[in-house]
Order: sequence, then structure tokens, then C-alpha cells
Amino acid sequence: MIAENKKSPAARYGMTIDVDRCNGCGSCMVACAVENNVPPAAAGATDRTGLTWIRVFRIDNGAEGADRRSAFVPVLCQHCGKDAPCVSVCPQQAVDVDPATGIVGQMPERCLGCRYCMAACPYHARYFNWWDPAWPAGMEKTLNPDVAPRMRGVVEKCNFCHGRWHAAKAKAVANGKAEIDPADYVPACVEACPSGAIHFGNLNDPSTETTQGARQPNSFRMLESLGTEPKIHYQSRKSWVREIANAPRPGKENARG
Amino acid sequence: MSQPQMKRSRRDIFKFAGGAVAGVLFTPAPWRLITDAALWSENWPGIPRPARGEIRAKFTNCSLCRAGCAVRARCVGEQPVFLAGVRGGLCPFGLTAHHLPYHPARLKQGQIEEATRAVAQRAAEGIAVLDLNPGRTASWTYRRAMASLKGIYLAPELPEEVYDLHAAKTVLSIGAPLLDGWGTPANVIAARQNVRLIQAEAVESRTAVLADEWIPLEPGTERVFAGQILKSLQGARTSALAGELLANGPSLVIGDAPEIGEINRLLGAWGKTVVASTEAPVPDPWKKSAAAITALADVPDHSIRVLLIDESAAASYIPWQQIEPKLSRENPLVVTFAATRGGYARHAQYALPVGVYPELTDDIAPAVDSVRPVFRISVPLVTPPAGLANPADFVGALAGVPASNALRERADAIQKTGRGSVLTYADGKETPVKELTPDAFWKALNEGGEWKGDVVSRAPSPSRSAARPAEVAESAGDLPLIAIHEAHNPALVSPLMTKLYQESNVRLAPNRVALHPDDARAANLTNSARAILQTRMGKCTVEVTVDAAVPAGAVLVGGSAGIQDVCAAGARAKVVSA
Repeated sequence: MIAENKKSPAARYGMTIDVDRCNGCGSCMVACAVENNVPPAAAGATDRTGLTWIRVFRIDNGAEGADRRSAFVPVLCQHCGKDAPCVSVCPQQAVDVDPATGIVGQMPERCLGCRYCMAACPYHARYFNWWDPAWPAGMEKTLNPDVAPRMRGVVEKCNFCHGRWHAAKAKAVANGKAEIDPADYVPACVEACPSGAIHFGNLNDPSTETTQGARQPNSFRMLESLGTEPKIHYQSRKSWVREIANAPRPGKENARG
Repeated sequence: MSQPQMKRSRRDIFKFAGGAVAGVLFTPAPWRLITDAALWSENWPGIPRPARGEIRAKFTNCSLCRAGCAVRARCVGEQPVFLAGVRGGLCPFGLTAHHLPYHPARLKQGQIEEATRAVAQRAAEGIAVLDLNPGRTASWTYRRAMASLKGIYLAPELPEEVYDLHAAKTVLSIGAPLLDGWGTPANVIAARQNVRLIQAEAVESRTAVLADEWIPLEPGTERVFAGQILKSLQGARTSALAGELLANGPSLVIGDAPEIGEINRLLGAWGKTVVASTEAPVPDPWKKSAAAITALADVPDHSIRVLLIDESAAASYIPWQQIEPKLSRENPLVVTFAATRGGYARHAQYALPVGVYPELTDDIAPAVDSVRPVFRISVPLVTPPAGLANPADFVGALAGVPASNALRERADAIQKTGRGSVLTYADGKETPVKELTPDAFWKALNEGGEWKGDVVSRAPSPSRSAARPAEVAESAGDLPLIAIHEAHNPALVSPLMTKLYQESNVRLAPNRVALHPDDARAANLTNSARAILQTRMGKCTVEVTVDAAVPAGAVLVGGSAGIQDVCAAGARAKVVSA
């Protein structure tokens, strides 16, 4: 393992999301659910109890009437690069950070459902399975064979479509390559976005669009003051959008949900 | 002396048992059992196991709307498990379309034979077909059948012009959902980079959020706004906005207001950013034997005895209140071809089940931003269940017009012209049609491809809508709100759309209305309250979303057929507690 790491330096996967290009269509949300076998909403599910690994929030500048301006911000697990709060609080070691990819992963088989990680996550990007996963009769045929559906009583969250990473890795190995082709590993939300607002790539590679986007002057990360070094970088020319991202805690007055 | 024997009574046994039960409650055992049962039961209902198999890609065209996006389906065996766009992303409806065949609300059974007999008996008495997605090959079948039966072919007004966004430098959209289902997403997004977009509408829509400039209008004043621009362009004094459109051209104005045709003409857009719509070639015999397209408003009242409605791939919805007066007073027969019972099936004697995308074979009418004639076939990705009706076959059979081979006949007519090229999605190759045999052309279309004709850059005839009479403004009366419609959505959507409707507020659910907090407070309504939406056309039950993004004095209404039946865009409305 160590020898392999020496050959291929570890990746640090991340995203840049251009808020000024997101029109809040919701394609990323449903593509994520399709790819990761997230079931449709249970009858009693709400915005508090639903399962949306990536959720688009509509935020506004707080003005009234004609001065009001809005923006759409997709929020997913920020894949903290340093001291991820969910990792340290988990009593079951059901959350880990993959050193080869930097992806913060969740192992539902280990999760006991205490939800400490949900309380610890400053981005509200973790979701609890309150109901048994259920699909309308026949629709289970459309499930993705690369991802196991989770059971009731466990926490789940974005893992950068880890099933796709495994598929890309398997393809690379089959082709005798040590590293995966970036074109083979694209998360579902990135692939689905009609306006091209989301870019994904290795932040350790300076040539990727993601890395370059993260270095733009309008780039920002959520709650940077916490020092968790999120690997999701946002971009916006609007100063009020950037200011909301640094609010100590996004409240209902600013973000829905 | 005998020792007294301890006698055990039944009461003692009960006491012991009761004490034991009570005592056990103070041990960890029952609580542990409950915890374990909860954990074991996590898997009791049987979490489905995804099927495994060979992974392959299939290509088709999405037929949920006229954009007709090219689709690459990731399939396990024959079953699609993920849909993605070939040229950019898909909208959420298209992304989840492979769930539609399994939708619980899907119409699966219908009295096809009885309907056939009933229609055949009365077909000579005044038959009409209402086609809610005109411009397809099936539409030509309907027109040919109606010509043969001396019936009426009804369809929403087809635009004679299409819009070339790539040729525009400035676009003024008056309420059009330019970035939310108006045209072909990939084309619109590509053109957006080089266009200054000005969005004028009452609510800050998804398009307004991304526009370079949003001009907030008073609800219901879109037509007044368009009239002001027109006057400004006609008069000596030009307003700042009209001046910008003139100076930063080529400009383009889009929207529903009838003044827009004349505005574009004065801006010099005709032939540049507004060009004539060109249909893909059709066989000559079809043209000679086709009924004219009739607008519903032009049909005399009470003249239709038999009405066949094709809402299988509806691109729009006509409120039932507009259709009903056209039906005969005596025992009219209404047959609808539908995927759900939610639309016209509520009013029809026969609701016949139809295939849904991606299990049916159909072509797609050209999009509003398609400047070249196109021909695309939505190729089935899954096998349709038995017992479905095919609207074109049904109508064609009434008149003896063969419909089953119509798509192939149309493809042959296109190939015969030798014009244009066909793009195959699997390899991204564009091949001139003249290099293909009829069979090769047909094969390319059926393996996921698109025929594009040559660019025909000619100015359209003056817009028909310009001649439309001015609408009489509805008086406020006791209806204080003005209705604003969400963009048209497909009638049947994936259950996963609940992620957007229910588990978040990204989109307004079809059965919901959104109100400004002040209006909700005045009506004593809270979030998720059940309410009644009232207009002059009727009322229906809705759920309420309280949303500060909706302007005061307006009500944003969802797209359910029930709401559309009673509430046209711009209508006066009231929302009261149920």
C-alpha cells in the first residue's frame, strides 16, 4: 500500500460550484438520488427529515420588494480536509477519511444511528434514515447495482459517488494504469448540471479546472473560520452571497430548510 | 405433629408470575430485546437488491418536451438505471424519466375495444382530434385521418417563427422561462455566455436569478410593459430600455405578449434573430390529404360530437372550461389517450392508457430555439406492457390511414431529399444524408441520432399573435391576487421529484400555491395549510407555501391540471382557508 502510494501521490478530490450559474433546477439533487439509490420521500418526510445528499438552497440578500435578489446554492458534504467534526465524534468509527482520495466516507453498516455526526456537522449535510427505504413497485429495477441501499436507522451523506470512483479504479486497473482517468470519475451531480455550474477534480493537480476555479478571487468556502478546510469551493461575483457563506450559522432567515 | 404443608393457590401462581414480569422490567433484558429488535427489523421489510448484469449504453432522445435532449442511458442488461445528457446535462424531469413506467399513478388499463366501437359508431357525426403536441409525425396521421373523416384537427397555435439565440447580443425576456425549460437546455446555456439577458417579470424566477438584469414588474402587467416598449420604438422618444435594445443589437424579445412580434420587427430582428420555423420534410401525399390546423377558439360551440384527445406527450394544457362548450349538448363522446387519470381523463367517458417515455416510439416536434429543421426519434429503452393504446394507430384505423409505418415513411422522405446530415450520439459523428442509404439512415435514427437539415434563414411572415385582440383586463372585485404560473411541467413525473417538492422547496409542487407572507397572514394561512384557490372559472383545493420571494398581491400557482382548469395565467384569484 505504501509502495503504491509512493508511485501515485494521493488525490484530493474537490469541487468548485459557480453560484452565479446555478438556476436551482434541481437536476443535481435528483441525479444524486438516482445514482446513490436514495428512495423517494416517505409520506411524512419534510425538509427536516428528508434524504437529500445534495440540496439546493435559495438564499436572498434580505432586502424587500424590488431590491430583493436571490441566488441558489447547492450544499453537500463539504468533505472537510482538516479535523472533520463528524469523524471525531463518531463512536462507531463509521466515518473515515480515505487517505488516497481525501473523500470523507460513511459506512452505514457500522453506523448505530446516534446522530452525533449530524449534530457535529456545521454544514447540515448529513441525513438520517427515518423510514425504511421503499420504492414504488417495479421501480427497484432501476436501482444502481454499484451502490447498496441503506437501511432505516443509519446516517448517510454525499461520498462523491464512491461507486463511480470504484468503477473508474477498476477500469484503470484493467487497463494496467495506476491512476484513474479523470474523465472516468465524474460524480452524478456534476454530470447532470445543465448549466455547467459544478466542476469536480483533483485539487492537488494545478491543471484542473477545479483547482483553477478554487483560486479565483471570487472563490470562497463555507464557514472558513471554523478551519475545517472544506474541499467544496464556491464562486460568486455577488458580495452578499460570499458574506452569507461566512455567517456563523446559516439561519432560516437566510437559507431555507 | 405434622408440619403444616405450604399450599400453593392459583392466586400465588399469578402473584409469582406478575412479580416475575415486573422484576424483569428492572433488568436489562427487555430493553436490550427492544433495541435488538429495532436493529434486526432494519432489514425486515426487505431492502431491494439492485439487479446486476452487463453494463451497456443506449442512446435515445427525450420526448418529455420539445427540447428533445439527446440521452445516453446507462443500462444493466436491458434496464436503464441512469440517464445522462449527451450534450450537457438534463433537466430533473428528463433525468428521472426511466422511473415513469413504474409510477404508481400510471394508467394501466382501459376499455380500448369498447372505445373503438363507440367511436366507430359515431365517427361520422362530428369528430375532432385535439393534439396537445402538434408538429410530430403522429400529428400528420391525425390530420390525414380527419381529412378523410371530414373531422376537425385541433391543436394549440404552432409558432411560425423560431429564435436564434446565438445570433443575438441582447435578449429581453418578458416572463419567458428562458433558462428553465423554454428551449433546448444545451443550446440555451451555450448561447447564454455571449448574450446580455434582461428578464422582466413579476416574480424572481430561476431565469431572473441568473439574468444580467431583472426588471421586477407589477403582477399582471407584462402586456402593459410590452406595449410601452412598442410605443417607445414607434415614437420619437425612445426609452432607455428600447434604446439599449436598438444600440446593443442584434436584439431579441421573447414572451407571450402579442406586441412582441411587432417589437422584434421594429428592432430589425426578423431574418436575424427571429427566423421562420421549418419542418422536417414529409411525404407529399400526406400534405395533399391533410386537414387544416384549427384553433379551438374557431370551432363553433356545441359542434363536436366525438372528441379524441391525445395528451400522451402534451406540450401544453387547455383548460377543460374552454373545451366543454365546444362539445355537443346531447351525449358527447370524449376519449382521451393519457398516462394518468389526472388530466382530461376526469372528464372523458374512456381514458385509454398509453406508453410513456422511454417505452414508446415517437418523434419530437422542433424546439422554439431550433433554427434548423430537425427529425429525432425517441427510441424505446424498455419494453412497454401489454394492453396499451397507440393514439395514432387508433385514429388512423378509424379512417383507414395506416399509421404503424409512418415514422419510417417520414424518414425515407427526409433521406430522399439528400439534404442535411445525421449526428449519431454513440460516436459523435455527423454524416451527410446523401452518403446514407434509406436503411442506414433509419438505423442511425433508431440507434440514437438526430437529423438536421440545412439552415434556412428567411424572415417569417408577420406574427399571427400580433393580430390578437387586446384582452379585457379582469376587474379585481373580491379576488385580490393575480395568478402567476410556474413553467409547464410534464403530467407524469418521477416519484423522486419529491426531493424537490417535498424534501426541499426547490420547485413548487403541482398541487401547491405560493403566497407572500403578508397575503398569507391576511388570509389566515400558514405554510402547508390546505386552502381553496378561487377564480372566476371555479375553485380547487390546494396546499399553501408561504414564500417571501413571491411578490405581494400575487399567487404563484403549481401546474396540476386541476389548478390549470380554474386558473389561467394573469387571472384574478383568491386563496382562502379550506
